[in-house]
Amino acid sequence: MFERFAEVYIPTEGTNLKPLSEVPYLDNIDRVLAFFDAPTLDEVHTGLKLFDYGSIIIGLHFARFANLDPEDRLEYIRKWDNGGETQRLIVGLIKKLVALGYWQDVEAARRVGYQGPVSDEAKILSLGNAPMPVAVASASESP
Amino acid sequence: MTEPSLNTVPPLPVLRVQQPADIPDRGLKLEADAVVIGSGAGGAVAAYELSRSGAKVIVVEAGPYVKSEQFTERLIESFETMYEEGGNQISKSADLLVLQGACVGGSTVVNAAVCFRAPDKVLESWGENHGLDNLSPEAMTPYFERVEKNLHIHPNGPHEINLNGRLIAEGAKKVGIPSGPVSRNIKHCALTGHCMAGCKTDRKQSMLVTYLPWASELGATILSGTRAESFEVSNGRITQVNAIATDANGTSKPVEVKAGLVIVAAGAVQTPLLFQKNAIGNSSGLIGHHFACHPSTNMIAEHKDDIYWWRGATVTTYAGNIEDPKKGSYLLEAGVPGPMVTTVTSEGGIGREYTDFMQNSKKFLALATLIHDHNVGRVYLEDGRKRIDYDLDDRDFPSLQEAFRASAKICFAAGAERVFLPTTRRTVIESADQIDSVVNSLENGRQRYKLTSFHPQGTMRMGKDPKTSVVGPDGRMHDLDNVYVVDASLFPTTLLVNPQETVYAMASYLSDRMLARG
Repeated sequence: MFERFAEVYIPTEGTNLKPLSEVPYLDNIDRVLAFFDAPTLDEVHTGLKLFDYGSIIIGLHFARFANLDPEDRLEYIRKWDNGGETQRLIVGLIKKLVALGYWQDVEAARRVGYQGPVSDEAKILSLGNAPMPVAVASASESP
Repeated sequence: MTEPSLNTVPPLPVLRVQQPADIPDRGLKLEADAVVIGSGAGGAVAAYELSRSGAKVIVVEAGPYVKSEQFTERLIESFETMYEEGGNQISKSADLLVLQGACVGGSTVVNAAVCFRAPDKVLESWGENHGLDNLSPEAMTPYFERVEKNLHIHPNGPHEINLNGRLIAEGAKKVGIPSGPVSRNIKHCALTGHCMAGCKTDRKQSMLVTYLPWASELGATILSGTRAESFEVSNGRITQVNAIATDANGTSKPVEVKAGLVIVAAGAVQTPLLFQKNAIGNSSGLIGHHFACHPSTNMIAEHKDDIYWWRGATVTTYAGNIEDPKKGSYLLEAGVPGPMVTTVTSEGGIGREYTDFMQNSKKFLALATLIHDHNVGRVYLEDGRKRIDYDLDDRDFPSLQEAFRASAKICFAAGAERVFLPTTRRTVIESADQIDSVVNSLENGRQRYKLTSFHPQGTMRMGKDPKTSVVGPDGRMHDLDNVYVVDASLFPTTLLVNPQETVYAMASYLSDRMLARG
């Protein structure tokens, strides 16, 4: 479902963006989901199922979201964007997960001009810990 | 005071942290004069101030010890290792993301280093409405000065203000909104823009490189990965804190700390939960109430030129009337971390609209907004599960709209060609003359705006009256004689400005009150 969503949400073909197929966004989404606690994860799974199968009930299609053609998928996402509170919550979460999965890729971000990690490459030195405040140093060394 | 001669300069302080792997399986039984729960802005300052008075101090921190050399400058990895719930802490309605640090040094390690003093008008209102005359601007000024000196807090210099910040300042001037350089706790900033992933080169003067190593050098014991769970209570005093240290293998080790003084600084979400879980200190019934959070959004505007807004200091310039919340209840700050944050906090649309939006990233002006919200939320446990109830109040929605209006005016005055509102559905303002009509058409409601809180506050309200507050004017809990709270949960109202400097100053002030009491 995430794959079908990402294909129409971030259509990289014909753009300067890093091709979606070269970004491990599904693995990245799994990593993000791994930090959700069990009850939240259950709620997320319920929401994802509602979205995927809602195309049959809400969208009046005869297939799950994942099996719709690209134009119908886009139209379905727009319907949820403009839907009720729960629909906006679910589609917002999916967009967030897919975007996080894609844009956390350093090379993908560099394609739009973002430098990414830089301190090691630029050999910027650490300043280390700050010295103790002078007034305290004086006081602590008083007899 | 005379300057010390060279031979009085002490050795550079070293931060020594006892991690769970260092603790034997049988656990630890410790005794101290004071135990501090939490090592962020409040806890670290209190630990140092008490240590320098000669007290034996033990700090228990639930989060891990992540050394700056381990920072990767990849925000997603910092979320995983140094933020509460991996950066996924949300309100019950999932309408608000609440970002907090969860590591040795707390949020100070992962914030944007922005420092403001609490506005005088806010401190005065605490005196008028909550009996906190002791926190007058005159009384607090020496404490602000102390932490500003210790943490190298100073306004950004011209070289630290990037093109985004300069254009925002110029735009603000054109439309008559006060603005200026943001002050930061930073020394020789390397301008990498990675503050929120942790400062890898230790330029940000977070607790990790200042108050904690100073406390450590003075003898404080700092335990990481050690979560305070319960208390032993006798005659209205906490006599022992029971904690659990959990190592990488998942082995839990009991840590018991007996101390005469208990200082709680676990943050405005965790501090109230600790007392609720133990069902103590809550005769007012108000622990966890009055949650507020400076709900924030990111405004994006497309400029004709390349801006590269992410280059340089994370936050550069502010705009807004920050002297008096009655005259303006929003604050705008130029700067937002890179494209990953932009894409989840703004709305570029879907499909080609979205890819066009992101391909133009380098042309964006970027502004973070925050508002002076009412204390309408609540933090509590529900079937053992942490819950944060928060909905943007109808009284606060006009402030959000005003923040949007002001941001859009500034951006258009700065040369923007269109402005993207932080709504959950793509909303674009194409010209300055559309600002009012678009913003006025917005409605309050859940899942309509992309709201994030970086500043949870207010859940252990400070005040003179034990019936309407949890903590007294000296930071001591009304119900527990030897327990002090020194984090942002104390604030009876929100500040309107970033709270870290006020937490540092309050913790310094309250430490003096503890020492004066003996």
